[in-house]
Amino acid sequence: MSTTTLIPVLLLLAPFLPALLSAALPGRARVRNTINISFAVLKLAIVAFALAGVEAGVEYEWRIFFVPGLELILRLDALALLFVTLSAVLWLATTLYAIAYLKGTPHQARFFFFFNLCVVAATGIAMSGSLISFFLFYELLTLATWPLVVHTASAKAMKAGRTYLAYTLAGSAALLGGIIWLESGSGPVEFANGAVLTGFGTLSQSLIFILLIGGLGTKAALIPLHAWLPAAMAAPAPVSAMLHAVAVVKAGAFGIVRVIYDVYGIETVAALGLGMPLPVLASATILYGSLQALRQSDLKKRLAYSTVSQVSYIILGASLAGPFAVIGGLVHLVHQGLMKITLFFAAGVLAERAGVSAIDQMDGIGRRMPVTLAAFTIAALGMIGVPPVAGFISKWHLAIGGYQSGANWVIAVLIASSLLNAAYFLPLLYRAWLKPACDALPDREALAANRTWLLILPGAFTAAAALGAGLFAGLDMSPLGWATLIAERITTR
Amino acid sequence: MSALWLLPLAIGLPLVLAALSALPVVRARSLTLAIFAPLPALAAALFAPRGEAMVLPDLVLGVTLTLSDAGALFLGGASLLWLIAGLYSRLHMKGKDGAGNFALFWNLCLAGNMGVFLASDAVTFYVAFALVSLMAFPLVIHDRSEKALHAGVVYIVLAVLGEAALLGGLLLASGAAGGSTEMAALTDAIWLSSDRPLILALLIIGFGIKAGVVPLHIWLPVAHPAAPVPASAVLSGAIVKAGIFGLLAFLPLGSGLAVSGGVLVVLGFTGAFGAAVYGLTQRDPKAVLAYSTVSQMGLVLAAIGTGLAASLPLEGLAVGVAIYALHHALAKGALFLGVGAMNTVSGGAARRLLIALGLIALSVAGLPLTGGALAKLALKAPMGALHEGLITASALTTALLLTHFLHLMQPREEGHEPSPSLRSILVMMLGLAAITLPWLVFSQSGLATGYAWQAGNLMNAVWPLALAGLVALAWRRTGLSAPAGPQGDLLAIVEAFGRLANPAGRSIGRLFTPLRRHSPRPGAPVWRNRVGALIDKTEAALHRAPALTLLLIALACAVVLLV
Repeated sequence: MSTTTLIPVLLLLAPFLPALLSAALPGRARVRNTINISFAVLKLAIVAFALAGVEAGVEYEWRIFFVPGLELILRLDALALLFVTLSAVLWLATTLYAIAYLKGTPHQARFFFFFNLCVVAATGIAMSGSLISFFLFYELLTLATWPLVVHTASAKAMKAGRTYLAYTLAGSAALLGGIIWLESGSGPVEFANGAVLTGFGTLSQSLIFILLIGGLGTKAALIPLHAWLPAAMAAPAPVSAMLHAVAVVKAGAFGIVRVIYDVYGIETVAALGLGMPLPVLASATILYGSLQALRQSDLKKRLAYSTVSQVSYIILGASLAGPFAVIGGLVHLVHQGLMKITLFFAAGVLAERAGVSAIDQMDGIGRRMPVTLAAFTIAALGMIGVPPVAGFISKWHLAIGGYQSGANWVIAVLIASSLLNAAYFLPLLYRAWLKPACDALPDREALAANRTWLLILPGAFTAAAALGAGLFAGLDMSPLGWATLIAERITTR
Repeated sequence: MSALWLLPLAIGLPLVLAALSALPVVRARSLTLAIFAPLPALAAALFAPRGEAMVLPDLVLGVTLTLSDAGALFLGGASLLWLIAGLYSRLHMKGKDGAGNFALFWNLCLAGNMGVFLASDAVTFYVAFALVSLMAFPLVIHDRSEKALHAGVVYIVLAVLGEAALLGGLLLASGAAGGSTEMAALTDAIWLSSDRPLILALLIIGFGIKAGVVPLHIWLPVAHPAAPVPASAVLSGAIVKAGIFGLLAFLPLGSGLAVSGGVLVVLGFTGAFGAAVYGLTQRDPKAVLAYSTVSQMGLVLAAIGTGLAASLPLEGLAVGVAIYALHHALAKGALFLGVGAMNTVSGGAARRLLIALGLIALSVAGLPLTGGALAKLALKAPMGALHEGLITASALTTALLLTHFLHLMQPREEGHEPSPSLRSILVMMLGLAAITLPWLVFSQSGLATGYAWQAGNLMNAVWPLALAGLVALAWRRTGLSAPAGPQGDLLAIVEAFGRLANPAGRSIGRLFTPLRRHSPRPGAPVWRNRVGALIDKTEAALHRAPALTLLLIALACAVVLLV
């Protein structure tokens, strides 16, 4: 095997081996933790190697027939690597966080098995070179996340799990329907070449597109298919963090980017008259999600609706034609991941260490848990779009992109979304930093005495990354630099 | 190494100091270190080459910094004020709770403030503007008193609205400029854009909130008195100028935009006279000074409006505005610091301080041959007769307002140490700079120094002051006192409306509370409960409904079967 075929396989094995080992070694917590962390670090190293390669123009690809006639294609193009890098970085952070979070609780082996399987699926989704490979990993993700959502096995969690399955399986059915219909006419679709649509009438083309986007939109929480996401809050904090930042919602958004750019092509989408309905739906989701977030009194629920809103930025960017919009959408895939995982890490720390889950319990928490709340503050400001945190970079590109595709109203949507974000994050920061602490909070000495740094530092790290991604956006290897590279390769193809 | 490096250093040093204050070793000394933070900016204003660009492509979306002639005046005045106010806060804050926090946000705010005057691309400008806007919030609420927190909420709501308006304006302008962020390109694009009225409105709102354009000025008289003394000084002296500079930098001046220009002129003069008169109803000396700032900035806004309406670029307008801003930064900063210093002295030292404050106040009102008089001449020179007359007449109301201020500053006879307080010395230094520095830069406006000595100009400066003196004397004779008005004038009306719409609400920050509740709230207006119930119903329907998802499955099956 040469390096070009080896790299994609290694990237899949890096999370797959610790999954197996975690399952094989129940009860040996220390060994399992070491294995998990080492493989996460190893994967980062492979990713760094691949980044240099892909930038230089190397194409990493591996193909195998997994069923006669159906080829599994793993292909690392620039877009794939954007998602792989994000998942690799956040995987390491979440692994550390999860180890601290779950310490001393039962069923950890099961947890880490499915958790790593999720990462396998996310990596696979990113690297899939064809629609059918994509679908395979997409389904693996659906099934691997369910045991994580219901991990606590409480009645609430089981109910959330049912909702989750009902939505995602229905979405998958639609997606599969779309894929079969499409491939029945065009043959196997590879992302590198796009689909051959000449055999279809425009109505069929539109219907297939709607099926594909509908199926993917379920995971990406496009309204009206978003209801599973707030319900899935019953999951433990590391799962929520991963779900919202990398795994599930991002898989949907990433799939939509692939369908628009690598299956149909943005010109075809525009020619079908679908160039406007999708941005409109994305904008509606952005505003609706923010409005709902404003109304929540539970911290994790507020964050969940905020995800509904923010993930649609990616879809908005991908569905508006023009390089600025694409860059804005793609870069938000990374930026939203960094910021949202910080928020969920912080929410988990608050619940775990101070028993705070409702927003009105947050009074005065800032002084007690300064590092966590500082990270939370940076991420929240980033979500609002305050520069120089990363969210601003995405917003600026999306808005200019909207202008360039003749959709000036996008600017209004983004500004309104910023104001709504400010309305649901700023009062929260005000409470945390400026209100007097209520008596129910554990006192400062008690908190300082048992700081679990493994729980606190991943959030601080991702917050710093979100700040750095904005502050140094001009670097070639920043998320923005990489998104620009992808956009260049898409437009010059 | 060329002096051009001073430009990034002017922003970078305060940022680095802010970042380093995370270390306990630095944090304990951060207040002392903060004194040095404005020095690179001051050096840049003096020594950095003009018009040369410093490009840092790796930062944000590519940072470009350029020092313009007007920018150097803004930068010089502001950095000098930050320097002396920094020395003052070292004395004021030492040993107090939260000194480390104060220094942290002081540095961040300073970095943003300097960045605004140096940026020559719209993104850098916006980043700096947001930094100075938002980081001023912790300075305003530093005391954590109820008054300070209320002022903070008013401030942050307006600041966020201002940021949003500004972002909208800049995005539309940048879009019209084909995605360019270069400020000069944006200004041209605004002029050509079909969205011009909207862009102008958004920019005027965004910058106007910061600069205190009536009726968006309502945060100034509330926030300035609430902040600690050195913070009020920089808020009123330097931070307000960020809005002025923004208008100067982005508006297409001299392109005959009669409507927007006219609006700005009217709002400017309304503020110039209205705020001065309303300020007479205030009892808190810092609130009086805040109204004086609104009034002074009103004159500047009127001048910018004139420039916007003029069909040719008015020569010397930008520099005239900059000289006026320089003088106002130093003088108003000195007066604010004086309010604090007065509490630490008594007897002869207090009387000497009062005399110094009196001189500074006279300079603001334009006493001939002071820096204030020169600044006024530089501001008036490019304008037509009517506006020139109005600015001349505004000296009357300014003088009355500052007389009222001095009247509120009664020195205490005894109590504190008889030795001259260090704080008074800082006030006097800053005042001296305000009175003298405009002489050094006056020639940049294109006017000869002799212009200040012309009989007509001297007369124009003297008669409003003489008249103000007579009015003040007559008023004292009557023994009447002005009615007391609420701080923040229109804010009282806004908040009254807020209470009507949200009777159970406690502050602007809680305005959204009713929407968050699922159950109808007694006391909330009927429509709000209805809207809330509607949203609830929609969401519940979506939650119940794998019905919808089943529909999707059916669709999928049907479609597959069709093929």
